[in-house]
Amino acid sequence: MRFLRLIRAVLREIFEEAAYERFCVREGFAAGKHSYGRFLRESDQSKKPKIKCC
Amino acid sequence: MNSGIRFLLWTVVALVGALALATIALHRGEQINALWLVAAAICTYALGYRFYSGFIAAKVLGLDPQRATPAERLENGRDFLPTNKWVVFGHHFAAIAGPGPLVGPVLAAQFGYLPGTLWILVGAVFGGCVQDLVILLVSVRRDGKSLTEIAKEEVGRVGGVVAYASVISILVILLAVCALIVVNALKQSPWGTFTIAMTIPIALLMGVYLRRLRPGRVLETSAIGFVLVLAAIWGGQWVSQSPAVAKYFTMTAPVLAIALILYGFAASALPVWLLLAPRDYLSTFVKLGTIGLLAVGIVLMHPTLHMPALTKFVDGTGPVFAGKVFPFAFITIACGAISGFHSLISSGTTPKLIRRETEIRLVGYGAMVAESMVAIMATVAACVLEPGTYFAINSPAGIAGQLPEKAASTISAWGFPVTAAGMQALAGSVGEQTLFNRTGGAPAFAVGMAHIFSSSLGGQAVMALWYHFALMFEALFILTVLDAGTRVGRFMVQDALGHAWKPMGRTSWYPSVLATSGLIVGAWGYFLWQGVRDPLGGINSLWPLFGIANQLLAAVALCVATTIIIKMHRAKYMLVTLTPLAWLVIVTFTASWHKIFDPDPRIGFLAQARRLAVNAGSARLIFNNWLDAIVTGALIVMVGLILVESLRQWFGILSGKKEAQTKESPFVVTRLAEEQV
Repeated sequence: MRFLRLIRAVLREIFEEAAYERFCVREGFAAGKHSYGRFLRESDQSKKPKIKCC
Repeated sequence: MNSGIRFLLWTVVALVGALALATIALHRGEQINALWLVAAAICTYALGYRFYSGFIAAKVLGLDPQRATPAERLENGRDFLPTNKWVVFGHHFAAIAGPGPLVGPVLAAQFGYLPGTLWILVGAVFGGCVQDLVILLVSVRRDGKSLTEIAKEEVGRVGGVVAYASVISILVILLAVCALIVVNALKQSPWGTFTIAMTIPIALLMGVYLRRLRPGRVLETSAIGFVLVLAAIWGGQWVSQSPAVAKYFTMTAPVLAIALILYGFAASALPVWLLLAPRDYLSTFVKLGTIGLLAVGIVLMHPTLHMPALTKFVDGTGPVFAGKVFPFAFITIACGAISGFHSLISSGTTPKLIRRETEIRLVGYGAMVAESMVAIMATVAACVLEPGTYFAINSPAGIAGQLPEKAASTISAWGFPVTAAGMQALAGSVGEQTLFNRTGGAPAFAVGMAHIFSSSLGGQAVMALWYHFALMFEALFILTVLDAGTRVGRFMVQDALGHAWKPMGRTSWYPSVLATSGLIVGAWGYFLWQGVRDPLGGINSLWPLFGIANQLLAAVALCVATTIIIKMHRAKYMLVTLTPLAWLVIVTFTASWHKIFDPDPRIGFLAQARRLAVNAGSARLIFNNWLDAIVTGALIVMVGLILVESLRQWFGILSGKKEAQTKESPFVVTRLAEEQV
């Protein structure tokens, strides 16, 4: 069970679900279209996008 | 576990590893089972991780569990966040594992399975893993700064400029090579082209679904996207069987190249949520699943390797790419052994998530071990093919011959029997019109992977589905690198131009977005076009150029790492980074010399330009060879500069003329409770 929880946590981090949740907590938003749009805009305008290796 | 049992256990691991290595190294003329490679790899990695990384962590770097990391000190809930070590491990692995460890080993298999396997194992344990580990620690101790910033601070201004220029150069060449692999995999392949084309509307649909219908549900959306991609693979066979539809998806290399250039521009300029992010999620979803599936497939099927340990092409006459096993095997396999690109990730997102310094060992060294294992699996996938089949797929028409009968007789004359009828049957079984002259590594890997999968699940009847699944998997990987790389390049150019004119630095100002996207896409598009028009298949010129650029970036990272180890008063351990650095300098400088000055026109750019001039070849091809020679020379000069700058620092400090001052952040005791570790 602990292992599955860990796998879920890893996947949520990789797929940025955790980052979105943190964004909502940080900015005091409820989950939804508006907050997700804000979250995406913040990611889009970040000057340090995630680099993917070759 | 008591120390006696531990000692016994590690002795057994060492003995099994030695036996496996001896088996793969000493067998000549007999085929061996792929599990020997897997056993050698697992034992080597286990020993490397347990003992060598333990030594580096404790003695060389002095990882300190009491020292607060930037994730703790600068926690902001956004970039800086103390995160569980396994979560960081997964995150880091997903970022470093791209198409490189799949393609490089497949191309290097032309030398036989032995050179590539040994380089992957030794290179990873003593080079790649060490680089990733040290750079990660160095960045963690400097508030998560990037490699270019650290190079500027620790090695000097020249170091910073060289690191920046190296990153831009490698990015441009990498993107061109990636695009060329996709072009070669999809040309004249309606099934493959249809499947990959469908990933664009699928990604757009995912973007809209995520934005409008189920905001933030990325895992759920990725699962839906994955099912749609499987449906596209399934549907592709109907497309390829219907002449009326197939003609729209049967494209020549130049047409595919133009399509990719336009796609790259769109991906860079469109909002990230619409195309880039959903495709990234989809690619990661497929990547993690397929790598796991491939590992299971290899263990279940434990195939026999048909490729010999060494082929006659170690002498440099290979058809896949020209050049002797030394130095070319060592630049062909970069990711999987040592990749400079990893240093950008180790000094990017990852250091800002590390909760404890001691966890750096698992993330830095451990994730690279996992990537190296992927490279071993790619070697297996290439070497389970009959050598004749492998060379028929990977040899360009300019060398093996344009017509199937001619190519089959040329390859058979090399000592690797293959028939045109046999290749036609294989092509038919995977739903392709032909498998001759499918250079670039991706189709050979796809055939090998389909062979492994279909033998353990579904049989020959589903060979075509597995082949197109493998092709889609690689192309999706590569297009994600293309999307993200073009965007990163755009940001870097905007950053640089912003110093000259402020509005150009604004990432949301559309004229700047369009201009800088055009610049980056134009740069890699030029090299792609050059590769597509190259009569020798393009990979022959571009993959070594990419390998040289990537390994030179690793040399830059190791220069920075060695400088910092000396500044940390640990000069007696400097061989840990100096040895791989010295090896990379020897390998890349030798390879560059050959690529520029070798009198063989298949190897040397200048010799090729001269031959074209004598034979009244096109002015564009002559110019391209000169350009490649100049780019290779420029890379070498840049790394020469950072080497000289580093040597000055080292001698200055070691002779006592210079004070050893590192720019580490001040020591702060961690507030995290011991039980959280």
